[in-house]
This record gives sequence, structure tokens and C-alpha cells, in this order.
Amino acid sequence: MNLIKLILISILFHSLFALTGIELAQLVDDRESPKDMKSNMNMILTNKNGKIRTSSIRSYSTDGNKKQILWFLAPADDKGVAYLKIEHEDKNDDMKLWLPNFKKVRRISSRKKTESFMGSDMSYEDMTSRNMDEYSYSISGSEKVNDIDCYILESIPNEIKTEYSRHISWITKNSHLTIKEKSFDKNGELLKSKSIIYQQIKMYDIMKELNVKNVQRNHQTVLKFDNIEVDSGIEDNIFHEKNLKRIPK
Amino acid sequence: MKSWLLHQVLTHPIRLIIVNILFTMLFAYGLKWMIVDDNFMNMLPKDIESRRVWEEVETEFGSSEMMFIAFGNSGKSIYHQESFKSVWDLTELIEKSPYVDEVISISTMNRMDSNDGFMEVDDLQPNRILSVEAIQNIKIYLDKNPDVKARVIGKSGDFMSLAVRPKNNQVTMFTKDVLAVTDSLLTNYQVHYAGNSYITGVVPQIIQKDVTSLMGIGIIIMVIMLLANLRNISAVAMVMLIIMMSMVSMLGSMGWLFHLTGIEYFHFSMMNTSMPIVLLTIANSDGVHFITRFFREVRKKGNVNEAVTTSLNALFLPIFLTSLTTAMAFMTLISSPIKHMMGYGIAIAFGILWAWILSVTILPSIIVLKKWDLNSVALSQTSYLERWIERLGQKILVVPKRVLTFGVLLIFIVSFGLWKVNVEVNVIKFFKPGNPIRESSEFIDRELTGSMSLLFKSTGDMKDPNVLNDMLLIQEKAESFPQSNTSISIADVIKSMHKVVMDDDPNYETIPETRGKVNNLFTMYSMSGNSDDFNSLVDYDYETGLITSLLNSISTNESVEMVTELESFIKKNVTSKLDIKISGMVVFLRDFVDLVVRSSFISIGLSIIIIFMIAWIFFGSFRWGLLSIIPLSSAIILNFGLMGHFEVHLSHMTALLTSIIIGVGVDFAIHYIAEFRRNSRKGYTIDEVSVKTIEDVGYPILLDVASNMGFAALLFSALIPLNYMGGLMVFAMVSTSLGTLTLLATIVEIFKKNLYKK
Repeated sequence: MNLIKLILISILFHSLFALTGIELAQLVDDRESPKDMKSNMNMILTNKNGKIRTSSIRSYSTDGNKKQILWFLAPADDKGVAYLKIEHEDKNDDMKLWLPNFKKVRRISSRKKTESFMGSDMSYEDMTSRNMDEYSYSISGSEKVNDIDCYILESIPNEIKTEYSRHISWITKNSHLTIKEKSFDKNGELLKSKSIIYQQIKMYDIMKELNVKNVQRNHQTVLKFDNIEVDSGIEDNIFHEKNLKRIPK
Repeated sequence: MKSWLLHQVLTHPIRLIIVNILFTMLFAYGLKWMIVDDNFMNMLPKDIESRRVWEEVETEFGSSEMMFIAFGNSGKSIYHQESFKSVWDLTELIEKSPYVDEVISISTMNRMDSNDGFMEVDDLQPNRILSVEAIQNIKIYLDKNPDVKARVIGKSGDFMSLAVRPKNNQVTMFTKDVLAVTDSLLTNYQVHYAGNSYITGVVPQIIQKDVTSLMGIGIIIMVIMLLANLRNISAVAMVMLIIMMSMVSMLGSMGWLFHLTGIEYFHFSMMNTSMPIVLLTIANSDGVHFITRFFREVRKKGNVNEAVTTSLNALFLPIFLTSLTTAMAFMTLISSPIKHMMGYGIAIAFGILWAWILSVTILPSIIVLKKWDLNSVALSQTSYLERWIERLGQKILVVPKRVLTFGVLLIFIVSFGLWKVNVEVNVIKFFKPGNPIRESSEFIDRELTGSMSLLFKSTGDMKDPNVLNDMLLIQEKAESFPQSNTSISIADVIKSMHKVVMDDDPNYETIPETRGKVNNLFTMYSMSGNSDDFNSLVDYDYETGLITSLLNSISTNESVEMVTELESFIKKNVTSKLDIKISGMVVFLRDFVDLVVRSSFISIGLSIIIIFMIAWIFFGSFRWGLLSIIPLSSAIILNFGLMGHFEVHLSHMTALLTSIIIGVGVDFAIHYIAEFRRNSRKGYTIDEVSVKTIEDVGYPILLDVASNMGFAALLFSALIPLNYMGGLMVFAMVSTSLGTLTLLATIVEIFKKNLYKK
């Protein structure tokens, strides 16, 4: 009899205090992030035939990438091209591109959030953080990834325009970092698989390497970050058209 | 061997039947492993230069052979909400097929606009359901961009088109999947299909359907003809039994050979379609010769065993020789550039030899076992055909020189047609005028961008303005041909982007003057659009580009003219470091057809030499060797000569089918020669021997011809190659039988003094 009581109490306790999907998503969303970040990105793209393209980019960003400016350092063909993005809540994002050979700044727009960003396996949708209200969350279990205990969080989009039908994310139990994710297309087939490696800078867990594979195209993108500086006090006026024309030292 | 066999037939007929049935079952067991391969692309040789270039292009840029679907209603504007809904649904459903690589339609295409200082890349059709304004907006964009419009909207504005790219050239399954979707979705529209992948996808099904039904008619006619002349159901059933047993053994042998060797050339492909018909003819011939001989002998002797003994003695050698020569002739197909023909040659040779064994074992054994009514009409009276041939033989032999002169003159006159034989293929002309497939293709040629393509593999720096300008120059030249509708390359996209980046100023619809600017345009597109959009135009390293010139259905000769002129133009006018190789299905077909025709002629020549050698060896006389090939050679000259006179083009299909002549053509001459030699040694006088020979072999030859006339049913097929197959069967039968009973018989009669008892 005592045993039954103990089991019932334990079930009650578990159901009262167990983490729900939405709570876990909230924890991930609430993670402390730097006010601004400077970094060098190396992007390596590999296509289905094993051919490789590499780019080196200097990046400044604030507000969790809502404002971002990128200068292309390599390859030589692209050196000098620069890109400025400012996201808005209530209107379309501002995106401008400096084309050094035309000596022109051109505003660009992609209404297609599903388009790939710079030929990589990441779409604009992948690069913007998910709005909590636009998804339904559930925890489908837990699993160890590289010996780290993780929750498995399933996110299903509500009525929004997206290329995905669902995402399955492996989120570390101790620090609520997404270290692995699988994203499925509208037909329920696996489309992309991601893995992320973090490093600790100051008090933040900062992405060090992102590996994205589009399994349907058999195309892979590896993004490596170095020379990372956080909270260095990037001023707001850096995100201006005139700064596109000069690569910072 | 003959005596041993005769002993077995007369004393152990049941044992012989059981052994034959067991062997046939063993061979038929191979059917379990027989694979029907209806993918035409698998049969094309891979070691031709144009195929190599074509494959390189397809590896880098995807399949070049698209299927085109046009739907709409004549006279009714396609700019309608329902049409856009249909194209959206159609695209989504087709894309789900695992055999589809890509769908190019209004709903998958992008538009590139310069909008209030923006360079904007967006979906051409953003949603499934569009407002009237949105449709009008699309129409305005397409009117401003005629090159884009030509790819998706018909010239009269009442049809919309999609281009579907197959994955890994699995055209049969691909076509099946796509047609299943269009059949269910486009019920309210007129629908047209075209493109090489579509034609190569549907043709095997049409062939299968037509051959099955028309061959069935042919077999029924064969049975009726045999019944009318043999006037005995059991005798007809015996002939049909030999045919069926040899047929399943031949097909089973293909399964066995594939199982044992793992070589895909033993798959049953579209090329093998004529195999059952050829074997049916040969096995029928063996059976008919034996049965008619038996009837003739039993009529004379009044004893079944004696009649069987005489028949077997008389026919053992000729049936063996006809089988051996035909089998060897088919074995020459091993040298064919189409490797599947190797499997064809080996399997049919096996079938022919098995038909021979069955004809001299199981057939006499069943005859021995059956209780015959010797007073029945069939066994006691000659048939009408039999009496007719006896009269014909006498007439021919009265004026042998006149008949021979007429025959030689005919062949001489017809032979002038040999120089007029034109080697040409236009895939769409494989279908008769008025056929829905041909009409659909012609509609797409007329109203849309055309259903064929010429590919220019362009190797060079795809960011170099000089290279891009040279590509535009080649496109301009290609578009100057009346067969060409439009062309597309990365240079077109660069031109459009340049205009957009320069605020839509039409003066900038050009290639920028520096490499840096071209590179900036590529980068700009990768930031705002999807750089995958260029996958079918330029490779990952920007080192190879593809110019695709969309054409109407053209023949190989037209393609030769076009390619020669283009190559000379490129040599004279391309100044940049751009290397161009022209290919595509149409160029490949040009090379392929030449190769097949050449190798078919070599195969026919080799067959004649082999037949001559075998006849020489077995008849022990050079003269008989030479005479044995006269009817076959005459039939071949008549066939190709008449093709030349009547402007029937020689294609890879018709060249390959010519082997049918060899299959059916050699038998009669050998039977005639064997019978003449036998009669001359049996004591008939020099003046009687020819008449007696025609009486003995004329009837089975004519019955064989008559019973095979049913294959003329193939003339009713929708496919010209099948018509040719049917026509060739009839022609080969008639020409070789007449060749034997006129040319050979008169030559033998004229030179009988030199040939008697030789």
C-alpha cells in the first residue's frame, strides 16, 4: 500500500514540476546573449560532386543579429562586396548591398524567406530566430548527444509561411543550448540536418562552428567563427550605408 | 545420329517427349530471372563522343531531355484563376514523384524586378489562388520578358506549359508518374505532351501493347491458314506446340543467361520485340516442313511409321542446316554497337536450335503416337495450295530462261534504288500523321518552344565578359535557324541582372564590360535569390556553362546541317577562350544511326558469308554454297532498293529489323537445294528432278509464307517501326520464297547438267 502511495506521489510530483515543450522553448529563447558581436566567418560550401567554395567574411552585429553588417574579405572576386541588414518588426527588412565594381549601393529584397542565403544551406528563415507564438512545442524524450544529456524538442509551425513541416531539436539539459537539429520538409521528409559547437566567451555560449547539411540536395555548409569579440560596444551608427564601402581593420 | 534418332522416335516416342518437355521446362524456368527493361536510354552505347559530351552535360546540369506538357483550351485565354490553380497543383504533385528532378513552370519560376530602387527576386506565381490583379501583374511581367514568356505561355495565349526534367533518365517510370498526375488533374483542358523523355517513355508501352494485340491477330491468322491447308486440327496443334515450346525456351534462356552472367544485355528490351516474331516464323517453318512432308509421304505409303522415317530422312539435314545458318547469322549481332543486340543474337540462336531439336524429336514422336485416320481428307487428298504449286512449278520450268531474265532484270532495276537510300531519323516521324503523339509534338513545336534541344557545352571563364558575349553570339546564330525557337544560357541571366541593377534601363541589357561587374551580379543574386536557380546554366566553379537551343522536332540530317554550320561559325567568330562542344539527343542520334546502319550492313554481309560457307561445307560444293545465298541476297537488294525508290528512310530501327530477312530468308533455298540433291540421287531423271523438287518443297514453302501473312497486322500499328516490322516480314517471306521458286529454281534448271547428282 505504501509503495502505491509512493508511486502516485511521484507521478503527481513529476506532472506538476516536469518541463513542458513551451517552457523549454522559452528557456532556450531566454538564454543570455551578448549585446553585440564582432567576428570573422569562414564559410565552406561543398556540393554533391565534392566541389568546394569558400568565403571569408567580417561580421558586426547587434540585437541578436537583428542589425548586421558583413564585409567580404575572400575570395578575391568578392572582396569589397558588403551587405547591411536591419530587421524590422512591423515592415520588411532593410537589406543593402555594396557592389564595388558598379560603385553602387543596391537595395535588395527577398520576399522568399525560403531562399538560400549566399548559396549556403541556410535560408533567411534559418537565420532569423523563431517567434515563440508561431510554433507548437512538445518534448518527445531525452537522449545523449556526444555524452551530453539533451531534451528532444519538437517544434511544429502554426499557420505560417515556412518551408518546414517540423523541427526536432536536441537541447542540452544543463544550459539549454541547441546542439543538433533536424528539419523536415512539407512532405515530412528530412530536409536539413544541423550540428552546432559552442565556445564560452565571457558569460556567453557563442557559436563556434555550425554544420548544415541539406540531405535532399546533398550540399553542405560549414560556418566557422573566429576573432570573436562580444559586448565591445558597437555603435548603432555603424549600421549605415556609408560604412559598407570600407572594410574595418 | 539420324538412325539413332529415328530409332528413338519409332521405339521410345513417349520417353523422347518426356525428355523434351523436361528440358523445355528447365529452360522455361529461366523466365523467373528474365528482366523486361523498357528504358530505351539503357540501350544506347556510351562510347560515342557525342554521347560522352551529352553525359558530361547531364551529370553537371541534369537531364537535358525534358518532357513538355501544354494545357489549355483553344481560343480561351489561359490568364485565368483556374489555370493558375491547375498549374500550381500540377507542379506540386509532379514534384512528388521520385523520378522527377525538376519542374519548370509559372509556379516554380522566379521573377526579377527593379522596384523603386530594389532588386527584388520573387516567385512569378506567389500563391495558388490569385486575384485578377495578380494575374494581370504576371501577364505584364511576361509581356515585358518575352524569353521567359515563351517558356511557359503558348504563342496564342491560350495554353500554358510545363517542362519536367526526369531524374537519372528513368524515363518509363517518370512518364508513367507524370501522366498519372496530368490524367487526374487536367480533365477540363486539352493537353499536349512532347519531348524526347516523353517519347522514349511511352514508346515501349505502345510497342508492348501493339505487338501483343497485333501479334495475337497474326497468330490467329497463322492458325486459320494452317487449318485451311492442313485440314487437320491435331497437325496444326503440333506445329503450334513446337512454336510455343521453342518460344518459352528462348525467353527462358535470356533469364538463365542473365542469372548466370549478370550481364544486362540479356534483359528483354525494346530491341528484343521482334525476337518472338522471328522465332515464331522459324519454328513454324520447321514444323510446317515436317508435317507437310509427313502428309505427302503417308498419302503415298499408307503407313505412319514409314512416312515418319522418310520425312525424317529427307528433312533432318535441311532443317539442321537452316537452323544452323540462321542461328549463326543471328550470332553476328554480337558485333552490334548496341550491346543488347548481343543478347538478342545469342538468345534467338538458342531458340532456333531448340526449335530444330523439337522439330526432329518431339514432333515425329507425337506423330508416331497419334492414331491417324488415313482415309481423312487431310491425309488422302492434296490441298488447293499443293495442287496450285505443282502447276506453278511446271509453268516456271517450261520457260526458265524467261523467268530468270525477268527476275534478274527486276533486281537490276531495283538495285539502282540502293544509291538513293537515305539514312535519316526524326523521332516524331516514327508515328503516323494524325497520331496524337505526333500531333501533340507538332503543336508544342508550333505554339511553344519546341520539343527538342541542342546543347552547347561551353568551357571557359563564365565571369569573363568576352566569353559571355561569345555565348550570346552563338545563341544568336542558333536562333537564326528556322527550326530553332529560342535559346537560353547564363549570359541571358547576366544581361537581365545588369539591366535590373542599372534601374531597369534597357540600354544596360548587355553583358557588363568587366569581370568584376559580372562577379558582383552573381554575388548580388546569391544574396537576394537562390544561386541554385543557375544550376542548369552554369557549374559550381563557373568554369562550364550550358547553352540550350530549343528546337522543333528535327531529323538527323537537319541536325547535321545545323551542327556543321554552327561549328564553322564558332570556328570563325568565337575569339575568347571559349571551347564549345555541341551535343544532345539529336546529335547523338546522328552518330548512333550511322553506326547502327554501318554495323547492320556488316552483320548482313557476314551472315551471307556464313550461310555460303556452311552450305558449301555441308553440300560439299562451292556452287551449291553460292546458289544458297541467291534468294537471300536478292531479297536484301530488293528490300533496300525499294526503300531507296520509295523514299523510305533507313533508321537505326529499320536497319536493326532487317535481320528479320536473314531469319526468314535463308530457309527456303536450303530446303530447295537439299531436296534437289536428294531427288537427283533417288533416281529421278535429269528432266524430272526440278519438277519433283518444286512439288516437294514448293508446298511447305508457300504454306509457310501464307501462314506468316498474318503479321501484316503489324501494319496497323501506330508506330512506323512496327509497320516496317510487319511489312518486312511479309516482304521477306514473299521475296525469298519467290526468289527460291523462280530465281534459284530456274538457275538450277538451266544449269542442271552441272548440278545433277552433285
